[in-house]
Amino acid sequence: MSLVKCCFEADAPGVFEPVIQKCIDPGCCCWCCSALRPRYKRLVDNIFPVNPQDGLVKNNMEKLTFYSLSSPEKLDRIGEYLFQRASRDIYRRRNGFVIIAMEAMDQLLVACHAQTLNLFVESFLKMVQKLLESSEPQLQILATQSFVRFANIEEDTPSYHTRYDFFVSKFSAMCHSNHNDLAIRKQIRLAGIQGLQGVVRKTLSDDLVENIWEPVHMDKIVPSLLYNMQNSRYFEKENATPESPAEERSDPPQFAESCMRELVGRASFGHIRCVIRPVLRHLDLHQLWVPNYFAIHTFRIIMFSIQSQYSYTVVEALMTHLDENSKSTPKIRTSIADTLSKIISIAAGESVGPSVLEIINSLLSHLRVSVTRNLPSSNDEQLYQEALINALGEFANHLPDYQKIEIMMFIMSKVPYSEPDSTASVGKGDVLLQSILLKSLLKVGTKYQTIHLNTTFPISFLEPLLRMSLAPDPEMRLLVQKILHTLIDRHRNIDKLATPTVNIGNLELVIEKSSRPDVIFVRKHGPEIYQALYESLELPSNTVENIEAVYTTLALLAVELATEETVLELLRLVLSLQDLALTSGQISNSLKFNLHAVVMSLLVLISYVCNITSLMDYASKLVEAREKEAVHLLPELKSRYDGESQLSTRLPPSVIIDQAVVSECLKGAGLDTGKLQQGPGYSSSSLQHRHSWVDSTGRSSMADINAGGAELDSAGSSPGVQKKLPGEELTFESMKRILTESGETRREAEEERRLQLSQLFRTAPFQDLVVKTQPKHDMLQNKLSEIFNTLTVEPRNPIQPGIPPADAKPSQTPAYEVHFPELFVY
Amino acid sequence: MEDYKFLFKVVLVGNAGVGKTCLVRRFTQGLFPPGQGATIGVDFMIKTVEVENEKVKLQIWDTAGQERFRSITQSYYRSAHALILVYDISCQPTFDCLPDWLREIEEYASNKVLRILVGNKIDREDREIPTHVGEDFAQRHSMYFLETSAKEAENVERLFMEIAAELMEQARSKELPRYETNATSINGKTTSIGDSSNCSCSRLT
Repeated sequence: MSLVKCCFEADAPGVFEPVIQKCIDPGCCCWCCSALRPRYKRLVDNIFPVNPQDGLVKNNMEKLTFYSLSSPEKLDRIGEYLFQRASRDIYRRRNGFVIIAMEAMDQLLVACHAQTLNLFVESFLKMVQKLLESSEPQLQILATQSFVRFANIEEDTPSYHTRYDFFVSKFSAMCHSNHNDLAIRKQIRLAGIQGLQGVVRKTLSDDLVENIWEPVHMDKIVPSLLYNMQNSRYFEKENATPESPAEERSDPPQFAESCMRELVGRASFGHIRCVIRPVLRHLDLHQLWVPNYFAIHTFRIIMFSIQSQYSYTVVEALMTHLDENSKSTPKIRTSIADTLSKIISIAAGESVGPSVLEIINSLLSHLRVSVTRNLPSSNDEQLYQEALINALGEFANHLPDYQKIEIMMFIMSKVPYSEPDSTASVGKGDVLLQSILLKSLLKVGTKYQTIHLNTTFPISFLEPLLRMSLAPDPEMRLLVQKILHTLIDRHRNIDKLATPTVNIGNLELVIEKSSRPDVIFVRKHGPEIYQALYESLELPSNTVENIEAVYTTLALLAVELATEETVLELLRLVLSLQDLALTSGQISNSLKFNLHAVVMSLLVLISYVCNITSLMDYASKLVEAREKEAVHLLPELKSRYDGESQLSTRLPPSVIIDQAVVSECLKGAGLDTGKLQQGPGYSSSSLQHRHSWVDSTGRSSMADINAGGAELDSAGSSPGVQKKLPGEELTFESMKRILTESGETRREAEEERRLQLSQLFRTAPFQDLVVKTQPKHDMLQNKLSEIFNTLTVEPRNPIQPGIPPADAKPSQTPAYEVHFPELFVY
Repeated sequence: MEDYKFLFKVVLVGNAGVGKTCLVRRFTQGLFPPGQGATIGVDFMIKTVEVENEKVKLQIWDTAGQERFRSITQSYYRSAHALILVYDISCQPTFDCLPDWLREIEEYASNKVLRILVGNKIDREDREIPTHVGEDFAQRHSMYFLETSAKEAENVERLFMEIAAELMEQARSKELPRYETNATSINGKTTSIGDSSNCSCSRLT
C-alpha cells in the first residue's frame, strides 16, 4: 500500500498525460495500473507491441533511448526492468517479446556511452546469460550475437563484470552442439565460436576482468576450437598451406581457425604454454597424431600466428611432449617428430643463443634414447629416428652458417668415441648411436655452405671427425667420408669425382685458385687429414665404397686446395699409398688393386689440377702402360678380380709410379722436391703420435716457464690459487682450446697425463726429482714475483708462493695433491 | 519472475553409455529419449527447483563419457558444486572404472565438491552390480549413493532434489556469506531487486 502511494506521489506531476496516452494503447490492460508506474517502466512497456510479430515499436524505442540518454542514472533500472520482463517472457515461452527486449537492450547499449553504463551492463549480461540458459537454439544464437556486439564495444570505463566463467562454459558447450537438425547445429556451433571470440576479445582488452589464459578457460576454449577445426577439409589434405583465409563466418571450421589464429596471436610469452598444452592434449585424446595432417596444420597455424619471438617455445613444448610420449608407439612418436620437423624451420629464424643448442640437444637426446631403447631397431623406430634427423636438418637449414658450425661441433661432441684399436669396447648401441649421430651430422653438413675451410673445420671438430674416420665399422667410415665431402666441396664437384677415373678432361671440373686462409689451413692440418685418410685406406675391412669415398675426399681436397705448396704433400701421400698397396700384408689383393687405381686416378687429377705438363705426360704414359699390361690397376674399382692371386704376383715396374720420375717432373715445374724425398711419407707407425696429438700440441705451445709446470706443481706447498698460475698453460692456443674443445677429449688427455705424472713421482728417485725441480724453481720464483708485483692490488691473492717449494718433499706428496692443479683448470 | 536464492553447478560424469544424458533429460524435461546419441563435449541444462520454499537454480553440465573429450570435460569439474558419478548397474566395466573417475575428480575438482555415486538403469533385468556393492564403494569413498532409472523416472527427481537440499544446507551452515555470492554469481543481487525499487520510489519523494 505504501508502495502504491509512494509511486503515485512520485509520478503525480506528470500523471495525466501518460494516462491519456496509455488509454489509446490497447496493450495496457489497466490504465490506472500503468499510470501508477514510474516513468521509465512505462517507457519500457511502450516499446513492446501488442503483437510480437510487429517487432520493436520504433518511435517508442527512440523515446526510451532519449530518456536514458538524458537521465543516465535511470539506465540501470531500465536494464533491470527489461531483464525482468524478458525473464518472465522466457518463462512463458513468449520468445517474440524476448527478442524485442534483447534488441532494445542492444540499442541502449550502443547508444549510451555514459559512465553509468556499468550497471546496465550487469543487467545486459544477465539477460544474455538468461537467454543462453534457455534450451531454444534461436534464443541462444540471439544472445550470442548480442554478446558479440557488446564485446566489440570499446568501453571507456572498465567493466567490473568479472564473471565470464559461465559464458566460456556455455559457448564451449555450444561449439560441441549435436543438434539433430544439421543446419541448426551449424548455427549453434558458429554462435559458440563467435561467443568465444567475443569473450577473448573482451577479456584481453580489459585488464580488470578475468584472466582468460587461466587453464580453466583455455582447457575449454582451445579444444572447442580444435574440435570444430578438425572437421575441416584440411583434415584430408597433406599440403594445405595455411594462408590467411578470408574470414568465412559461415563455415565453422574456417571460423574456428581464424579464431585460433587470433587467440595465438594475442598470447604473450607467459601464456603460450596455456594454449599449447590443451592443443597437445586434444591431439592426444582425439588420436590425431597418426595420420598427422591435422596436427601439422594446427601447428603451422600456431607458428604463423604466434608472435615470432616466442615461436621457439612452441618447438620446446612439442619437444617436451615427445618426452612425455616416450612410452607411446613409435608411430605416434614418428608423427610428432615429423610435425616437429615441419614447423621447426619456422622457428629457426627467430631462435638465438642458448635456445638453439637446447633444441639440438633435446633432439639428440631423443635420438639417443631411441637408440638405447630399441637395440634391434624395428622399422618404425628407424622411421622415428629418420624423422628426428630430418627435424634436425630442417632446423639447421634455417640457421646462419656460424651456428651450423657450432651445431656440427656440438653433435660431434656427443658422438661416443672409441679407440680405433680397441674394437671390443664399443657396444652395439654405441655403434648405432655413432652412426645415427653421424647421419645427423651429415644432414646438417649438407645444409652448410663452406666458404673457408678453417672456419668449417675448427680443430675441435676436425680432430674427432678424423678419429671417427678410422672407426672399425666400414659403414661409419663411409658416413664420415660423406660428411667430409659435403664440407670440403665448394664447387659442386662431388658427383663428378664420385668414382675414380683417369679421364679427368671429360669431367668439366670447376676449379678455382684456393685462397690464402685455405692454404694456411692445409699447411697446418693437411698432414693430419692425409694421415687419417691413409690409415683409413689401410684398414682391411674396407669395401669398394670406402675406397671410393676416400678417393672422393682426396680428389676434392686436391681440387679445392690446388696450389703449388700443397701439391707436394698430396703427392707424398699418393706415393705412400702406392707403397702401401705394394707392401702391405694386411689387406687383400683386390683392395691393393683398388688402391693402385686410386693412386693412378689421383696422380692424373693432381697433374691436371696443378697443370704440370710433364707430370701429366708421365701420368698418361703410365695409364697407357697399365691399359696394356695391368688393366686391373685402373678404375673402375671392383670388389673381386678374376684370377687375383696370379695378377698380384708380379707387377712390371713400368706400371708403377716412380718417385724419382715424379720429382723430376716437379723439379721441371720449378717446385722444391726435397719434401717429397724425405723418408717414407705416411705410415702406420705414426699412429701413436697421432693419439697423443692433443697432448703434444698443448705442450709444444707452452711457454718456456710452463714447460716444467707440471712437475713444479707437485711441490705442492703453496695454495691452489697460486698453483694455478704455473700449472695453467696460459697461451692463446690453450685458452682457445679450453673454450672450443669438448670436455671429454680434454679430460681423457688430462687423465693420461695425470697418470704419467703420478707414475713419475712414485717411481723416480727423490734426488732426481729434486734435481729436476730445483733449477726451474728460481725461474718460477722470479716470474711469480714479477707477476705479483704487477698485481699488487689483489686482496685474495696473498703472496704465499714465497715459501720455497724446495722444502717440501715431492716424493711424499700424496697423489691427490699432484692431481689437484691439473684438475683445477676446470 | 526471475528469482532464485541459490545457484548450484552440477556436473555429471561417468563412462560412455551409462545414461547421464538420459538422467538429465528426465529431470529437466521429463522425458526419456530412446536412442539418445553419444554426447559431444558438454551439454548444458538448467532447472529451477524449490527447496524449503526457496528457489534453487541448478546448472547441470552433462559431460561426454567418451575418452576423447576428456580434456574439455575435465575443465568443467573445477567450478562444480556437486559431481554426480554415474555407472550402469548392468555393466561391470562401468563400475570398474569408478576408481579412475575418482582419481580424475581428485585431480581436477575442488575438494569441497559434493560427490554422489549413482547406479543407473535399475529397470534392467540383467543386473551385474548388487546394490550393496555400490553402497560399499560409495561409503568407502565418502560419497552419497543412489540407484536410479531414467527410463522409469525412479529416484531421478529425488537425486537432484537431495543434491539441491544438501548444497543449500552446506551453503547456509558453513559459508553462507561467501558461498552465496559466489554461487549466485551474476545474480548476486536478486534479493535486492525489490529493495532497490522500493528505495527508488522513496528517493523520488
